[in-house]
Amino acid sequence: MMQMYFASFQDLLIMDGHGIYVWSAVILSLLVLVWLIVVPLLSRRALLKDIARDVLRERARQSSSKNNQGEV
Amino acid sequence: MSWQWFHRLGSPRWFYQTSTRWLPLLALIAAAVLVSGLVWGLAFAPADAKQGNSFRIIYIHVPASFLALAGYYIMAIAGAVGLIWKMKLSYMVMKSAAPIGAALTFIALFTGAIWGKPTWGAYWVWDARITSMLILLFLYLGVMALQYAYHSIDAASKAGAILALVGTVNIPIIYKSVDWWYTLHQPATIKFTSAPSMHIDMFLPLLVMIVGFYLFYAVALILHTRSEILRRERKTAWVRELVQPNVGEKA
Repeated sequence: MMQMYFASFQDLLIMDGHGIYVWSAVILSLLVLVWLIVVPLLSRRALLKDIARDVLRERARQSSSKNNQGEV
Repeated sequence: MSWQWFHRLGSPRWFYQTSTRWLPLLALIAAAVLVSGLVWGLAFAPADAKQGNSFRIIYIHVPASFLALAGYYIMAIAGAVGLIWKMKLSYMVMKSAAPIGAALTFIALFTGAIWGKPTWGAYWVWDARITSMLILLFLYLGVMALQYAYHSIDAASKAGAILALVGTVNIPIIYKSVDWWYTLHQPATIKFTSAPSMHIDMFLPLLVMIVGFYLFYAVALILHTRSEILRRERKTAWVRELVQPNVGEKA
C-alpha cells in the first residue's frame, strides 16, 4: 500500500501554504471539464425533444389532411 | 483494398450508432483514470524540492496543455479532410473540437497563472509561451465564431477549416517558444527525445493524468459531435426513427 505524502487530511488541504493555489486550480479545472460534458448532454436532450415534437406535428398534419380529403 | 471503412467513417449515422454502444464504457474508463491520476498526483506524489507543493498544479496544467495542442491538430485535420473530401462528419468533428480546445486552452492558461503566483511571483507575464497559448485560445474562439457568422453551414465549415489550417503555424511556435526565447516558463518536462526531467514517483501520476485527459477528450469530442449530428441531420429518416420511441406509436 502506498503511503500518502501528507501526514493528515488537513495537511493535504493546506499543502504548506500552497493549498489555496493548488486546490483553486484543481476545482476550477474540474468545473470546466464537467461543463464540457454537461453542455452536449443538455443540447442533445433538447434536440431530441424538439425533433419528437416535429414528428408529432407532421403526423397530426398528415392525418388531418387525410381526413379533409375524406370529407371532400 | 476496399475503401468501405472510409465511407462508413464518414457516415454520421454510423458514427452516432456506434458511439451509442461504446460511449458509456469509454466514459467510465476516462473517469476512473482521471480520478486515480488526480488522487495519486495530489496526495501521494512527493513534493518538489524547489517549488514545494505548488508543483502539483502540473497534474492539471501539463495534460490540459497537451490536449489543447493535440486538439488543435485534430480540429485542423478534420477541417482539411472536410475541405478535401467534402466529408460532412468531418466538419461536424471540426466544429465540435473548437469549444473543447478553447476550454482546455483556458484551463492551461489559468492553472498556469495560478501556478505562476507562488513560483514566479506574478500571475501573468507576457512571455513567449504564454502569449502563444493566448493566441491559440483566440484561434479556437475564431473558429467557433465563424461557425455562427454564416447562414450557410457549408460556407461556415469552409471558413472555419481554412482558419484552423492557417492557425497551425502557431503550434510549432508554442512548442519551441521555451527554447527560442528567453522566458520564465520552465522547459518541457516531457520530451520524446530524452528521459523526463522529473523523478519517477512524480512522473507516473503525470503520465496517468495525460492518458486520462486524452480519454476525456475523446469522450467530450464524441458527445459534442453526437449533438451536432442530431442538429444537422434532424430531417433525416434515421434521426426521426431515433425519436420514435419517445413519440409513442409507430407511424
